[in-house]
Amino acid sequence: MPWVVMAVALPFAGMLLALPLGRHAHRLAWAVLPSGLAVSVLLVVQVWRGGETVAYAIGGFAPPLGIALRADGLSALLVLTTALVVCATGLFALAEFRPPSAEREARASVLFWPLLFALWGALNAAFLGGDLFNLYVALELLTLAAVPLVSLEGKPETFAAALRYLLFALLGSVLYLVGVALLYGAYGTLDIALLAGAARSEPAAWAAGALMTAGLLAKTALFPLHLWLPPAHAGAPAAASAVLSGLVVKASFYLLVRLWFDALPAVAHPEAATLLAALGTAAILFGSVLALRQERLKLAVAYSTMAQLGYLFLMFPLTGGPTEAQPWSAGAWNGGILHAISHAFAKSAMFLAAGLILEAVGHDRIAGLGGIGRALPMTVFAFGLAGLSLMGLPPSGGFIAKWLLVTTALASGQWWWAVPMLAGGLLAAGYVFRVLNPALAGADEPVALRRPVPRRRQAIPLVLALLSVLLGLLPLGPYRLLWVGRPTAAEEGLG
Amino acid sequence: MVSTVAVPESPTLLAAAVALPLALLLAGAAPRLGARMLGLLWAAPLPALAASLLAVGGEARSEPLLLGMALALDPVGATLLGPVALLWSAAGAYAGAYLRGKPHGERFAAFWLLTQAGSLGVFLAADLASFYLAFALASLAAYGLVVHEETPRARRAARIYLILAVLGETCLLLGFMVAATAADSLLIRDAAAALPGSPWRDLALALLVAGFGLKAGLVPLHVWLPLAHPAAPTPASAVLSGAIIKAGVIGLIRFLPPEAAPAGWGLALVWIGFGTAFYGVAAGVTQEHPKTVLAYSSLSQMGVIAAVLGMGLATAGGVGGAALPAAFYAAHHALAKGAMFLAVGVAAATGARRLLPVLVVTAVLAIGLGGLPLTGGALAKLAVKEPLGGGAAGTLASLSAAATTLLMLHFLRRLAVGGGSAAAPDAAPPAGIVLPWLMAAAAAVLVPWGIYLTAGGGGLAGALSPAALWEAGWPVLAGSGLALGLWWRAGRLPSVPEGDLVVIGEGATRALARWRPPLRAPRLAASGQRLAAEAVRALAGMEGVLRAWPTAGLSLLVVAILFGMVLVAGR
Repeated sequence: MPWVVMAVALPFAGMLLALPLGRHAHRLAWAVLPSGLAVSVLLVVQVWRGGETVAYAIGGFAPPLGIALRADGLSALLVLTTALVVCATGLFALAEFRPPSAEREARASVLFWPLLFALWGALNAAFLGGDLFNLYVALELLTLAAVPLVSLEGKPETFAAALRYLLFALLGSVLYLVGVALLYGAYGTLDIALLAGAARSEPAAWAAGALMTAGLLAKTALFPLHLWLPPAHAGAPAAASAVLSGLVVKASFYLLVRLWFDALPAVAHPEAATLLAALGTAAILFGSVLALRQERLKLAVAYSTMAQLGYLFLMFPLTGGPTEAQPWSAGAWNGGILHAISHAFAKSAMFLAAGLILEAVGHDRIAGLGGIGRALPMTVFAFGLAGLSLMGLPPSGGFIAKWLLVTTALASGQWWWAVPMLAGGLLAAGYVFRVLNPALAGADEPVALRRPVPRRRQAIPLVLALLSVLLGLLPLGPYRLLWVGRPTAAEEGLG
Repeated sequence: MVSTVAVPESPTLLAAAVALPLALLLAGAAPRLGARMLGLLWAAPLPALAASLLAVGGEARSEPLLLGMALALDPVGATLLGPVALLWSAAGAYAGAYLRGKPHGERFAAFWLLTQAGSLGVFLAADLASFYLAFALASLAAYGLVVHEETPRARRAARIYLILAVLGETCLLLGFMVAATAADSLLIRDAAAALPGSPWRDLALALLVAGFGLKAGLVPLHVWLPLAHPAAPTPASAVLSGAIIKAGVIGLIRFLPPEAAPAGWGLALVWIGFGTAFYGVAAGVTQEHPKTVLAYSSLSQMGVIAAVLGMGLATAGGVGGAALPAAFYAAHHALAKGAMFLAVGVAAATGARRLLPVLVVTAVLAIGLGGLPLTGGALAKLAVKEPLGGGAAGTLASLSAAATTLLMLHFLRRLAVGGGSAAAPDAAPPAGIVLPWLMAAAAAVLVPWGIYLTAGGGGLAGALSPAALWEAGWPVLAGSGLALGLWWRAGRLPSVPEGDLVVIGEGATRALARWRPPLRAPRLAASGQRLAAEAVRALAGMEGVLRAWPTAGLSLLVVAILFGMVLVAGR
């Protein structure tokens, strides 16, 4: 079976079915979520067993005429991560977005499901797309599915946040599209593999590279282009925040990786990589400090996303550039991608936990959460575990990722990149502790729960947080999977 | 002192040593078992104790986990692991009785087991990642033990403890990473051996000494210790001072270069060590609270150990030969200091008329720490004689033994004054806390003899010769004389607040805050706080600007142009 195609087609089919089903769309989740997860697992197995990139030319037309879907180790892993986070979020949302009794407005419950499926399909299309225009379409779909999720609850402030998000994402898309047009004009193809051979270091490629990079950074909300992220991620319903913060921003980051490492390796210079990492450093420090200052839990978590995204961009200079394989490249590559994956689990767990707290207490002011640990022990524990990964403490995916990135920085003589990573860990300890300390204290008057939260729902963020921790204890297999289909075969460098 | 005993290999037992506390923790999550967990704390460290008693060797390796986990037990590790596990068990039994019926018992048990898993794990970890994991677990989970009573005093102590612990962790992480990069291996022995060849070896050694020194309480990184150890409930104080600070000792032993140490580091460590040893006594004799006196004595003793390791580096070029004596010294301290902390709780529950036996037993331990002949303390002093040598370091060590005797007599006096305050003059302490205390006290005398005569390979004749007895005895006599002199002039000593430097830091912060009126900065032990607060406020202001639409649009443009320029320039 062409699992590559199924991975994209199945969620979209779910979206199409969900629209006419209306009030009953939530029942569809029981079919789409498990089958989508199964397809993703099968895709990973296929890539792992085959040991090479799985490609599928739609309709049998080979590029440059036709459209290709490609799955190498990196994309297969991201597809699996997406499936796991989406399934957990979907299960979580079943209690929230179930059609209510007649009098409550049903719009949110009806719309959530098609939007979630569309988001899933768009994410998979972005991870598996083989040419730059397809990826543009996937990015647009992603934006169009993500924006309504932000304002699903229909509060005025979430509309403002959604509008901000939409406008900035569209600006980013325009920049990206202009870059695509420039590349097509210059080389007559948009297929990533073909472009890699054709593109030379010349003005058209420079301009395209700069425009597309800026556009993708705007969508990733890298400092200083983050204006839309905190209000959007903090204002959305918990289930939406989880996928937005955990997955959606990673898609544009992934595209940037593809662009730099696979499509335009001849153009990507070390100086530009340094610029990316400098912005990432600023994001780490700036986002962490602001997360420390927030009074509302969800905003603090959103600013922490901004900071954690910064780490990903340190990968660019640390790999030593796409063209020159260095002995340490593998460490940086593995570390960067592992950070993206473990952050996806940790951050979605955090947002779901924050959502449960908000739901149970009725507010998410950090100062008013004293003693919540006794009322919602599982939820607070999940928050703490996810925090472990953000701080980069063992055993967690975040620790291994940070270890790989920092040892790479030392081994390649670029020690200065180690400084923001360690400082970011300290600051993360600060903002996680700021929440956990009052939560675990025996407050004089423990917070009163507006309504009890069933253990079943509390278990979902816990499972996601455990996944982010288990990534740190996992056998080294996934790191080898990451290398399936990489042009530069650097197998060494773990540790 | 090299072990010649053949070692049976049992990787499972090594893994169980760390796994049982964690398994009990998980079991405690079940609602019905949670309440009973407090009564089972004594059993958690038994596999570790068994591993150490059987002198189990071999390595338990789990290649795929956490970058490749490896557990191993060598003679140095076993020397520390056994006594520390014994103390955990005794203090666990004590905690079961001490906290019964008090609030938050389950939370205490959870943090206890987590801390214990880390505290035992540091002696077994053979690779950097496992060591870091165990160390971080012991450090961070202990926060829950320090803050347990949630009094303002405990909260302040715990906050300062946590800030310093997290800073220490970061120092260590960077140090480990430099070592791992130099060795291209994750095994601790490779990393320690390769460190002298690293281009950043001085930075890495500084980070490691700072990180481990902070844990062990070396001056000036000791400030958290006299605050945190007395603030915790008594059984937690015992393991904090007896067991957990030994993570710093094993860290120094494992990570200081085994040979070819760069010059200068040995002497620096000797200076820091003896500085800490005498500073601890000087600050300790001004204290009123017996637990605080003990805490200052702990850092003083850790100073002696640092000096022993430093002499190893300075004279033999590596920590190798000094490792086992230092571990032995630390093992005795673990049991003796743990038992003395437990004694504070026993004395508080004892009526005035029954206090004498408690004081007598405690006196043997206390003066033993100063080297009272025939006690474990005398053996510990005997063991470190060789690495310290006969020169100035040896003399300083004897003087520090005299100073310790003085401090311990001060402790006994404070204990006698503070104890016996139980309601009824003939109140008897509950057996639940007396038996574990007596066990720990007996172990503090007997276990060092056991190690000395078996694994240590020492003979009775050596330990009981008149020369050795005099060697151990004169500092005790001198210290007793000093104590008499001190009591004669009692009341004239300046009083040093608990946590000395941190209080000065806090005072300075407050003074600064008063000097410039409108400031709402939280009280933290850093005078740079005010600047930081202003920087943060400036950042927040900047965030407002950045998030305005015109700035955001401009930023997008600037980013695009910047990348264009860089790509053009990079051609």
